[in-house]
Amino acid sequence: KCAYRHPGVRWRKVLYEPQPFPDNYVDERFLEELRKNIYVRRYRYWSVVFESGLVAQQLACVSVFVVLWWYMDRGLLTPHWLFGTGLLLSTVGYVAYDLVDGGLGRHQSGRTRWADLKSAIVFVLFTYGFSPLLKTLTESISTDTIYAMSFLMLLAHLVFFEYSTHMAVASSSLSLSVAIFASVCLASRLPGSLHAFATVTCAIEVFALWPLLLRRLKSHVPQGYVAVSLLVSVASVAVALSVTVVGGVLLALLLLCISLLCPYLLICLQLHKDNIHGPWDEAEITEDLSRFLR
Amino acid sequence: MVLKIFFPQCCVQAESGLLIGRWLPKHNSAVVLAVIHFPFIPCQVKQYLCQLQNLIKLELAIVGSWSKAVKGQEKQDNFMEDLCTIFPQGDWLQMYSEKGKRGFDCRVIPRNGTKTMNNDKNVVIIHYDQRKVMLSQLHPADGLVLGSQKNVSELTMVFQTVSQSKELFHSDKYDEGPFKVTHWQSEGREASIIIELCKQASVPVCFMINCFLTVWFWMCKSRILNLWPARFVSSKLSTCVQLSHRAEQLQIMSNPRKTSEHLEFMRKGNIFLSFLIDLALGLLLISWLYRENCIARLADMLVPAADRVAEELQQLLQWLMGAPAGLKMNRALDQVLGKFFLYHIHLWISYIHLMSPFIGMILWYLGLSACLGLTIALSVFSDIVALLTFHIYCFYVYGARLYCLKIYGLSSLWRLFRGKKWNVLRQRVDSCSYDLDQLFIGTLLFTILLFLLPTTVLYYLVFTLLRLLVVLFQGLFHLCMDLINSIPLFAMGMRIFRPYRLAAGVKFRILQNDKERPLHLLMEINPLTFSAVLKWYRIPTYSCYPKDSWGALCKKLFIGELIYPWKTKHTKTD
Repeated sequence: KCAYRHPGVRWRKVLYEPQPFPDNYVDERFLEELRKNIYVRRYRYWSVVFESGLVAQQLACVSVFVVLWWYMDRGLLTPHWLFGTGLLLSTVGYVAYDLVDGGLGRHQSGRTRWADLKSAIVFVLFTYGFSPLLKTLTESISTDTIYAMSFLMLLAHLVFFEYSTHMAVASSSLSLSVAIFASVCLASRLPGSLHAFATVTCAIEVFALWPLLLRRLKSHVPQGYVAVSLLVSVASVAVALSVTVVGGVLLALLLLCISLLCPYLLICLQLHKDNIHGPWDEAEITEDLSRFLR
Repeated sequence: MVLKIFFPQCCVQAESGLLIGRWLPKHNSAVVLAVIHFPFIPCQVKQYLCQLQNLIKLELAIVGSWSKAVKGQEKQDNFMEDLCTIFPQGDWLQMYSEKGKRGFDCRVIPRNGTKTMNNDKNVVIIHYDQRKVMLSQLHPADGLVLGSQKNVSELTMVFQTVSQSKELFHSDKYDEGPFKVTHWQSEGREASIIIELCKQASVPVCFMINCFLTVWFWMCKSRILNLWPARFVSSKLSTCVQLSHRAEQLQIMSNPRKTSEHLEFMRKGNIFLSFLIDLALGLLLISWLYRENCIARLADMLVPAADRVAEELQQLLQWLMGAPAGLKMNRALDQVLGKFFLYHIHLWISYIHLMSPFIGMILWYLGLSACLGLTIALSVFSDIVALLTFHIYCFYVYGARLYCLKIYGLSSLWRLFRGKKWNVLRQRVDSCSYDLDQLFIGTLLFTILLFLLPTTVLYYLVFTLLRLLVVLFQGLFHLCMDLINSIPLFAMGMRIFRPYRLAAGVKFRILQNDKERPLHLLMEINPLTFSAVLKWYRIPTYSCYPKDSWGALCKKLFIGELIYPWKTKHTKTD
């Protein structure tokens, strides 16, 4: 209408020049720049399953740890056995960790074997030294409080775990700290100081060392990663079944859901994505809306 | 602009003559100080003026003439006008009272004197009480000399003019001079033999006190007393602090120089009076203490009281070692702390019992210190309380240190827990990637400290409350001491009995408001309010108050920093 009134004057989308149009005027070329779904990605189902396996994997790890603790609490598992098995498995894992990439990662990071040994000694010594203290630490606090706290902490561990390298909320140190906190809480409920020691070392192996190995496997030997993941998942379901059938079934369903159903849902819902992008600034509500809530 | 003439009330009834005064040209006003009566010889008047100016160091002048209406005498207008040619020093005021009328008229003849202006409306005559104005000190008081300042209010100028011309008012009614002068005059000197004796005695007494003080300060400065432990202990004992404060005050007071400045004079008076009151109260205390063998009874009471406190503390610790109020404490730590403190109390009790045979004697001698003043006795008592509750202080320090350690450890480990660290260079929290073992040990320690925190907090809380109780008790003593030390009794007395001596300002009352006569105002002095007296003349004392605000105190308590009733920590300056 305005263009009709000013024939020969072509509208430009600038405000620094005087034009015979109101400031909020646009002409018909405005929608030419409309784009749709420019950032949409096409996923392949199995690659998504491959990536999301880590989530299921971490869940399985947590459940294995909890079940091990439960065994210890019931006296079905001696701390010596747990510590011995853990030591054996971590030695195997340590060898595998170097074999997987042929010593390339160790060469790049410049970390010596002496440093590794020192870390291991620090872990073991500190845990062993503090284990009597850990046993009496929460004596006066009720068991329910400890369980609730451990549950929340393990949940936080799952939430903050670094599943991929570019995640906003992830914080590897926070997730590890929270897991250790939970393990100390749980260990303080056990009958002996040796039990506490075994539980905390087990927590270090499960929450700190195992993800390192898994990540390296995933980047270098994907088949091995898939096999190990499957193994751990099945093992976790099996040990959970040995505790409670319902829990085992629920865990199995949850693992299946996370690793198979969720990727499927993602791909299905991707079809319904409808984003529009254009030369406009998207509306953002920055106003304080709390007055409408009153 | 209106011409203001400040006219002394005592001169209203004066015989005719010349007006001595001072022009304040900046403010367009004149201050009349006195009237010289007829007859006189102009030469002599000029000489007299010169002498006065040398004496007073003010530019006095003959500002005009004064004629009083006498029965059967005509106006001497012409004669008066002629006078102005004899004393050509500025504008000429011609004031005359008329018979049967209150108040008086005024005419101003400008300097060149060609034209007589009868501008009644532009003249305001302000009556003032010469004696009061001379004696009063207008606040804000500052010892400035007239003439050296730029922006002084008119009122200050008037007050200073009158008070500086004290010399002019020295001559009393019975003095003989070349001519008669009317101004405010004392009724002749009253002499009291006691006052004279005191004045005579004060010089040698001051000298003796000075000598004694010199010896005292020399002793204080000697090497042995300045070694580290002695100095540290003496700075903490309130008796020593109070003694040195009193010595300094004595030095100020016994300064044999005559004080000229108002503030210094007031300070000396205040210190002297507070000293006297202090001594009197102290002697009263002594007479009470030593009359009925109070001291012995007090000493007998003291040891059982200390025992009782220790017993109560033991019970408190037993309670804490159980499950106090159903709190979730760590039992092992609880037992360790409780046993440690119990052992401490045991030590304390045996110490007290070791001391008990001597306590009566010590108290007897310490009681004598009250003859140096009540404040000294109070500070000695406060020190005794501090020494007797030393175990509480120790508990508090242990508790606070432990708590402080925990709080600092927890706050830095909490950052580690979240994967952050404190960047010292940038003064902010940065994210940081820790090694596995660092993270593990940090988290382990964090968990342990977190679960042990409630126990420590409880012990800290209980002992802090006890400590605060003692500090409050001591604070009351210090407050009393500070009150005696700092209240300006002399200034207060002056405000009560001679309110005009300390002026906050003036107020004007209309005396006469006739149409064809100049406006007559009466200037009255507004005395200083009591709060202002306190503000102006409070004797500076060493501060025994904690300097922290309440918020800062709470923060210190929260982070476990030690609090003291005294303030010795200097603020850091980088």
